[in-house]
Amino acid sequence: MATPPDTLDKVGAGLDALDVPVEAHKAPMWRRFLKTGVPPIIAFALLLGVWQGLWASALLPEFQLPAPLTVWNELVRSIGTGEAFSILWTSLHRAVFGFIAAVLIATPLGLLIAKVRVVRAAIGSLLTGLQSLPSVAWVPAAILWFGVTPSTIYFVVLMGSVPSIANGLVAGIDQIPPLLPRVGRALGAGRLASARHILLPAALPGYLAGLKQGWAFSWRSLMAAEIIATSPQLGTGLGQYLHNGSSLNDINMVIAAIFLILLVGIGIELMLFRPLERAVLRARGLTGAL
Amino acid sequence: MTATLETTVLSTVDTAVELAGVRKVFGHGNSAVVALDGVDLKVKPGEFVCLLGASGCGKSTLLNIVAGLDGATSGSLQLNTSRPAVMFQEPALMPWLTAARNVELALRFAGVGRLARKRRALELLKLVRLGDVADKRPHELSGGMRQRVALARALASTTVSADGAPALLLMDEPFAALDAITRDVLQSELLRVWETTNTAIIFVTHDVREAVRLGQRVVLLSSRPGRVVREWDVTDSSDAVLNEINTHLREVISGHAS
Repeated sequence: MATPPDTLDKVGAGLDALDVPVEAHKAPMWRRFLKTGVPPIIAFALLLGVWQGLWASALLPEFQLPAPLTVWNELVRSIGTGEAFSILWTSLHRAVFGFIAAVLIATPLGLLIAKVRVVRAAIGSLLTGLQSLPSVAWVPAAILWFGVTPSTIYFVVLMGSVPSIANGLVAGIDQIPPLLPRVGRALGAGRLASARHILLPAALPGYLAGLKQGWAFSWRSLMAAEIIATSPQLGTGLGQYLHNGSSLNDINMVIAAIFLILLVGIGIELMLFRPLERAVLRARGLTGAL
Repeated sequence: MTATLETTVLSTVDTAVELAGVRKVFGHGNSAVVALDGVDLKVKPGEFVCLLGASGCGKSTLLNIVAGLDGATSGSLQLNTSRPAVMFQEPALMPWLTAARNVELALRFAGVGRLARKRRALELLKLVRLGDVADKRPHELSGGMRQRVALARALASTTVSADGAPALLLMDEPFAALDAITRDVLQSELLRVWETTNTAIIFVTHDVREAVRLGQRVVLLSSRPGRVVREWDVTDSSDAVLNEINTHLREVISGHAS
């Protein structure tokens, strides 16, 4: 009323100019590497140093604590003969297939639990309970049901990862601000359109956290299953390799196997989940943890 | 200047929204709360009506009923408009979508094709003077800018109807969470948009000054239960009307002191 409109327009333009986000300039490549790449390398080097020192002090006999170099030689040998790749492939393809199957089962399951009250009341807490049950506990039963076959291994992997993924999705959906689906309804979204364009994307951070945990659970369940359920027809995976090392009293093999198991875990995290998570969180302005 | 409207003189032909005897009760039995009790309201196409009232007068409930987000317990609602668009106190933009995609979302739900969607979204963003930040995400925008994106999205959802039915925009205290200067700017922005788009607007507020500045007509609701107390034509707003409405609002509120 009191202020003429063209003055207000100017004020508005001024506000906008002040409000336009300032682009943060990116640090150069080497500086970013210095910040994120160097600390883990130093930590690893320190760990190796402590190990070498312990070995040199000869507190433990050689068959319990080998020198880092002999473990390295065992790794180089198994890589050189191609054994490492076949072992990794056997385990990895089982884990990946198991994980994909788990995602396909857990996603509709999670949606059902999150959106249908009766289903949540019926099996919600069971699913949470299953998450805390170590999946190794399923190995004896699975062997009795399926024998020492791939089915046993896949069963154990599924029991390990399905609860995590489903629970992650449920948590993701529960944390959606109620205003967003309301806006969807006001904009004319039907149930299906709302699920696809609002619920699922809004639940994505929680779902992704569930996927990440589900992968970790499927990988460790697989290792447990492979260590316990060994038979020639199953081929040699990382778990069998580890088991063989223990049977042969070969500590080099055991540590090399543990190293490979860790390597896969870290590799998948760094190459798949970390970039995915970053992209999802950055798009929402949740950059605090990055 | 100060005139109470005769609502009955409006014929149904030039009515965008007609509420008759709308009643809304929450809960059952002894704990039941009557939020709205026999509300009659008519809005003409292109008219700007402000619903004014203190807390608990059911103004948001009334808006939700018109929006179709909530059903009335009894009474009738007639809409001669395209799908009503709603704007809330919070912008409620999808945080994972850019400003342009947020506007496009409304058009997507209405079944508009991809290219037409892109063009229309940019048009609407330009209308609220945000053409330059179309590819920014909500967290990169200020509160005022976000609310303008929400306005563009609301306009997108109400102006797509093919049959040329008049548009209707429902606003639930959309500027209440903004600072004074931004609110001032956005109010003039809204008036400009209203004049260019000829959209009927029902604007809920508890701020008398805002209601008088924006609306052509101010409707005062009483609290618990919500009823229409009085209406003012405020096209030629003056301080006298402002004071009169203020006095009535105070009366309504002090009636609840026990």
